[in-house]
Amino acid sequence: MGLTADLADLLGAARVTEDAYALHLYSSDAGVIRGEATVVVFPESTEEVAGVVRIAERHGVPIVARGAGTGLAAGAVPSEGGVVVSTTRMNAIFEVDPVDMTAWVGPGVINLDLSAATSVHRLHFAPDPSSQSVCTVGGNVANNSGGPHCLAEGSTVNHVLAVEAVLAGGEVVTLGSSAPDPVGLDLRGVMVGSEGTLGMVTRVLVRLMADPPDVRTLLLAFETVEDAAATVSGVIARGVVPAALEMMDQRMATVVENWLGAGLPTEAAALLLAEVLGETAAVEAEAEVIRQVGAAHRAEITTAQTEAERALLWKARKSAFGAVAQTAPDYYLHDTSVPRTRLVETMAAVYEIADRHHLVMMNVFHAGDGNLHPLIAYDGRNPDEAARVRLAAEEMVAVCVDNGGTLSGEHGIGLEKRDLMSMVFSEADLDAQARLKECFDPADTFNPAKVLPLGSRCFDLSGPRPVPDGVWV
Amino acid sequence: MTGGDPLAPERAISVAGAPDGVRAVGPVDEGELTHLLQHASATSQKVAVWGGGTHRRIGYDEPPDLVVSTLGLAGIIDWEPDDLTVVVGAGTTVTDLEGELGTRQQSAVLAEWPGGGTVGGAVASATSGYRRLRYGPIRDRLLEVRAVTGDGRVVKGGARVVKSVTGYDLPRLYTGSLGSLGVITSVCLKLWPLTEAVATVRVDTPEAAGAVHRPLAVLETREGVTVLLAGTAAEVQAQLSALGGAHRSCLDYPPPPTGEVSWSIRVRPSLLTVAVSRLPPGSPFVAQHGVGEVTFATTNSFEISDLRSWAEESGGAVVRVAGEGSADPWGTPPSTLPLQRRVVAAFDPARVLEPGRLPGRI
Repeated sequence: MGLTADLADLLGAARVTEDAYALHLYSSDAGVIRGEATVVVFPESTEEVAGVVRIAERHGVPIVARGAGTGLAAGAVPSEGGVVVSTTRMNAIFEVDPVDMTAWVGPGVINLDLSAATSVHRLHFAPDPSSQSVCTVGGNVANNSGGPHCLAEGSTVNHVLAVEAVLAGGEVVTLGSSAPDPVGLDLRGVMVGSEGTLGMVTRVLVRLMADPPDVRTLLLAFETVEDAAATVSGVIARGVVPAALEMMDQRMATVVENWLGAGLPTEAAALLLAEVLGETAAVEAEAEVIRQVGAAHRAEITTAQTEAERALLWKARKSAFGAVAQTAPDYYLHDTSVPRTRLVETMAAVYEIADRHHLVMMNVFHAGDGNLHPLIAYDGRNPDEAARVRLAAEEMVAVCVDNGGTLSGEHGIGLEKRDLMSMVFSEADLDAQARLKECFDPADTFNPAKVLPLGSRCFDLSGPRPVPDGVWV
Repeated sequence: MTGGDPLAPERAISVAGAPDGVRAVGPVDEGELTHLLQHASATSQKVAVWGGGTHRRIGYDEPPDLVVSTLGLAGIIDWEPDDLTVVVGAGTTVTDLEGELGTRQQSAVLAEWPGGGTVGGAVASATSGYRRLRYGPIRDRLLEVRAVTGDGRVVKGGARVVKSVTGYDLPRLYTGSLGSLGVITSVCLKLWPLTEAVATVRVDTPEAAGAVHRPLAVLETREGVTVLLAGTAAEVQAQLSALGGAHRSCLDYPPPPTGEVSWSIRVRPSLLTVAVSRLPPGSPFVAQHGVGEVTFATTNSFEISDLRSWAEESGGAVVRVAGEGSADPWGTPPSTLPLQRRVVAAFDPARVLEPGRLPGRI
């Protein structure tokens, strides 16, 4: 039988589609790179995923796992064709343990739904990407996603105790444990953030965090971007690690304000959104430090007085990317990470690059952990402008690496930055990573062509295509 | 890289605690280690990776042909206090590192009773210390690792920034790998500011700690239960009021229990009180509530199997961390043993680094 017939035999025809419109939808993520899905399937259980993997292997086609498709680095794009495995129907919250503060969940559970479901126990799932109202826990695991609050709480890997995954041959394994430091190598740590290239995660044991007793959310408005960046370094240097420390520049604040009317001070060159969580006495003391450092850099400071005010500030932050649509039809969003002490000079260089290429760039990013997100708004129908975006993008990554940074802080490598990996890793480093991939997936079935450049290891020499023309970093 | 020959006869060193009659060498850089491990792989010599020798009793004990000391790879390589990160040579002792960081009121929150242990040893043995309840296990604080593999390849994973998803997570893979994936040469660690105020409070039960948000540690010993607090002066004062009870304005870390053999019971946190109730009568112990670990010391004639069966049936483990004994140091190996074996072989094809030490005698 053919691939699709085999899959329909396993899952039923209703959960296998080759419909042209569906294939189009499932061939890209939220970024700019497009692939070509052969078929899309919607399994409901681990056993069904294992069956799908065995069928794909038999037909020699790739498996590309997909959550909500909110990724920006083409991690879920079927660039080599193959079976796109949607986790949409694997969205059960199997068990919440309020005593041990954990939950077993399906990979298709939506991030914010998990926190909503556990709020009755005054618990939440800490990773909070801007896409959290639609992105899935499985996608968070694949990308080791971050979000504003991972400054204090760490990225997804810090909040995943164990995963159940289907590996090559349809083998089902559980990596990690509800107990600390399980014996043997930490393969859970390797699976998280592996972007679906080692296997497909089918269940996740997440760690939940206690809701904090108190919170202070401050908005600081600055006359210069340098003042804002220096305040970030200054707060950290004073020994305060806030729960979140987010920066928004004037251009971004303006488009957000146009759309939302949140009362953002659009005359400021840069805004900082700072949040501290914990005991009342702690948050008051830490908020005071932030006010002092901000005041030393001539900030206008307001503190959210009600939960509604706080929620509005966060809405302004998390909906920023959507608000850009009023500026230009397309945007290209960067994700790089630099040491926090290099923020001022890195930001200056990034602005200079955009200006030199006559591009409209705006910034909203996780300043507290040095995680930059320069966003270039452009019109993809204009080939000249698109070419300038590409050039600027490459220069921005290079500037971040030169300043001691790395390629991605939270969006992942995927296809987008795959060929830039040699900017930060040696041949031996990449070879070691390729060997690791080979241990899990010797036939290169799972999400081939992602993360590692072609030729990192002998097994991929004849395989995947190079990144297509017109695709940039 | 000097590319010197650490195997030259005049470079032989003596390593305290290493087995008698086994050659010991002390490479001073990655170039020398590369040379050394290529040679070991070519001649099938079993290598023991030796820092301070404080974690040697974890895992199976295979007699080595060669002891490689990491103490020559010592020193702070890069420390930018305002970034709250440090890059440090693996052979640096925990005491030296924390002492230096303390001069700027910072800490890597490594184990509180390190003895002569090194930073590389802390990572290789996944030793997290008592403060992991607040700051997380050491695997969550390791940002970058550099190592020389069994066949002499220098590999790096991670990045020197607090947030990175660039490539596979080699830092976590190396954490707890007990030397089997390579000799760790340097690591980049996340740091935390030392807090303004601290206190240790005696409480009646571990549950009493629920009155405060995120204490530093909740520790139980034969002497009772203490809650360790750290924060701003006002915060610690408020937490003291919430907890009541006698307190001291310092962090009173109990020493690790000592005896002929020490075991670590690891279970999900809610089972910790049961674990404590199952300890041999009178044995010294430290239980880390909220974490799920009890370390206890006993005689080497103590039969571990009942306790181990209970822990393993509950999804946990009982692991030897110090001392001698005839009992199996790991218990049941993980079900992913064939995969684990392949991963080790990818980093050490000739299987010369700590062969047989890991669960399943990999």
